[in-house]
Amino acid sequence: MSETNVNAASRAARELPSDLQQVGVVAKYDIMKYLRSRRLLGMLIIEAIVLIAITALLATSNNPKTADGVVGQYAGFATILIVIGATLFGGDAIVSEYQGRTGYLLFPNPIKKVSIIVGKFISSVAAMVLILAIYYAIALVAGLVMGNGFSTLGLASLGLAILYGISALAVAFLISSFMKGTAGSLILTFALFFFVLDIISSIMGSLGGIKPWFLVNFAGTSLSYVTTDPYPVDTIQSLDIGAGQSMTFYYFYPDVGLSIAVMAVYAVVALVLAYLIFRRREMSA
Amino acid sequence: MLGDPIVIQSLTKDFNGFRAVDDLSLTVRQGSFLGFLGPNGAGKTTTIKILTNLLSASGGSASLNGIDVVQHPKEALAQVGAVVETPEFYPYLTPNETLAYLGEIRGMSKEDISRRTKVVLETVKMTEWADKRIGKFSKGMKQRVAIAQAMLHEPSVIILDEPTSGLDPRGMYEVREILSELKKQDYTIFMSSHLLNEVQEVCSDVALINRGRLLKTGSVEELLEQASVKRIEVRTIQQMSGELLNSISKIEGVQELRASGENQFMFSLTGKDQEQAQMLLRLQSLGLNVVSYKESGLALESLYMSLIKDSR
Ligand SMILES: Nc1ncnc2c1ncn2[C@@H]1O[C@H](COP(=O)(O)OP(=O)(O)OP(=O)(O)O)[C@@H](O)[C@H]1O
Ligand SMILES: [Mg+2]
Repeated sequence: MSETNVNAASRAARELPSDLQQVGVVAKYDIMKYLRSRRLLGMLIIEAIVLIAITALLATSNNPKTADGVVGQYAGFATILIVIGATLFGGDAIVSEYQGRTGYLLFPNPIKKVSIIVGKFISSVAAMVLILAIYYAIALVAGLVMGNGFSTLGLASLGLAILYGISALAVAFLISSFMKGTAGSLILTFALFFFVLDIISSIMGSLGGIKPWFLVNFAGTSLSYVTTDPYPVDTIQSLDIGAGQSMTFYYFYPDVGLSIAVMAVYAVVALVLAYLIFRRREMSA
Repeated sequence: MLGDPIVIQSLTKDFNGFRAVDDLSLTVRQGSFLGFLGPNGAGKTTTIKILTNLLSASGGSASLNGIDVVQHPKEALAQVGAVVETPEFYPYLTPNETLAYLGEIRGMSKEDISRRTKVVLETVKMTEWADKRIGKFSKGMKQRVAIAQAMLHEPSVIILDEPTSGLDPRGMYEVREILSELKKQDYTIFMSSHLLNEVQEVCSDVALINRGRLLKTGSVEELLEQASVKRIEVRTIQQMSGELLNSISKIEGVQELRASGENQFMFSLTGKDQEQAQMLLRLQSLGLNVVSYKESGLALESLYMSLIKDSR
């Protein structure tokens, strides 16, 4: 590279916004796109239905309740919201620029791919956090009213839910970075978190006796168990099925500390891979 | 030469063994309007995609305003506006919002964005649609917004990939009006096209490519000057008869003769003004009452066709 090239490059760069400023611009307009499209609205409607259903069930049951118990009931359904949120806010984040041809408009601008992907990721995390914050705010208030106390474990559950949401979004970004079509990318993201990973972890855990601590969905279930006190421990049960034969059942529960680490690793690795694929991906269609 | 706004050197692009751009070298000089001509599949869009950071190059280099676009795409594209293929827009944003988005990415101030947005939307006649969501716009309307965004930040270089493709005749006419307008301002413009009349009308320079290779480059006048074959169109008082055509075809220098109407015919002529004037005299000496005798606007076309034929 010649000396003049470097000089000219740094001169041009001085007049441009920094990479970080551009991240902010991308995030801002991406949030605007969520607000304008029906995705955020649709997500809020699903959330309202889930909240109403759980609240109605809790309010009509006469069992004595604790605050943690009440929030725990809500937390049990948070993973569903996270799966839908990851699909709607991340499932086509990158592929849509290619399939929808908007990349022809965006990519020829003086902006690095890293700023685009980070900006988009921040906006989808913001949407996810908004959804979860509303959900847990109502769950905690329900805990106050029906369980007569503030659920501190509920806050821990919110923290884990946000972390699980971020790692699921990162995996969704990764899927959308290599998939050719928007629909396929959305379906794959949803299927993966809705049942594929669950099937894998049950086969491993219940049948194989291998604790799937390294699977992100298994780590994610910690957001629900964390509301139970004491925290459940792994158990192995042997059941006599006659004729001198017995069957072994395994019940595994994620370790919270390890789960935090696993989710963080998934988030970072998936996002970095998504970036590397995005950076090399060509606008060819 | 250093300082030229677009310099392409030995650029090559392979798609799984298929060479779409082959050792292409081309320089676009400051302030020129270059028509990048070639038939379908010649490699025009591929070249433009490499210039605009949409594709990576397999070999060679390309620089914009002296900055290598492969090594420093962000800096190289700072002063560039581009319309590649037919871009799509975010359907939920309006032209005003889309231009604000792109303007902010390019580092324009709020004031500059609102001032320039008005100007460019006016230029492409989209002012009344400024606050409507783009989702429902027609292809032609989107194409105009695409041209508007390319001019938004007053770049020094504008790169356009077949800006009139897919437009109806009126849309094409209007885009051509915009192009002539751009030509008056001091942009350097690189425009791909396969419409020869469009290029002949608005461009100052031409580069001809086929199968990824550069065939010829120069100013439009120079090339027309070199284009020794002209197509001549003649209208006469007399009606064309087989007998008449037969005797015209016997005139020395008349090639590819055909009747093009009741009392019109066309032919190709090799030569310059001298030969053209001579020919008129010969036609009149046959007893033809010539009403009009003109070079058809297809001179570039004949050059184009002959070059492309040769390169096959
Ligand atoms: N992503 C790709 N994969 C494989 N081949 C490609 C790809 N993109 C382009 N090509 C091939 O490269 C050649 C050049 O294509 P390009 O789009 O550059 O042509 P063009 O000059 O723009 O043509 P047109 O006038 O039709 O737009 C064509 O033969 C095309 O099939
Ligand atoms: Mg093309």
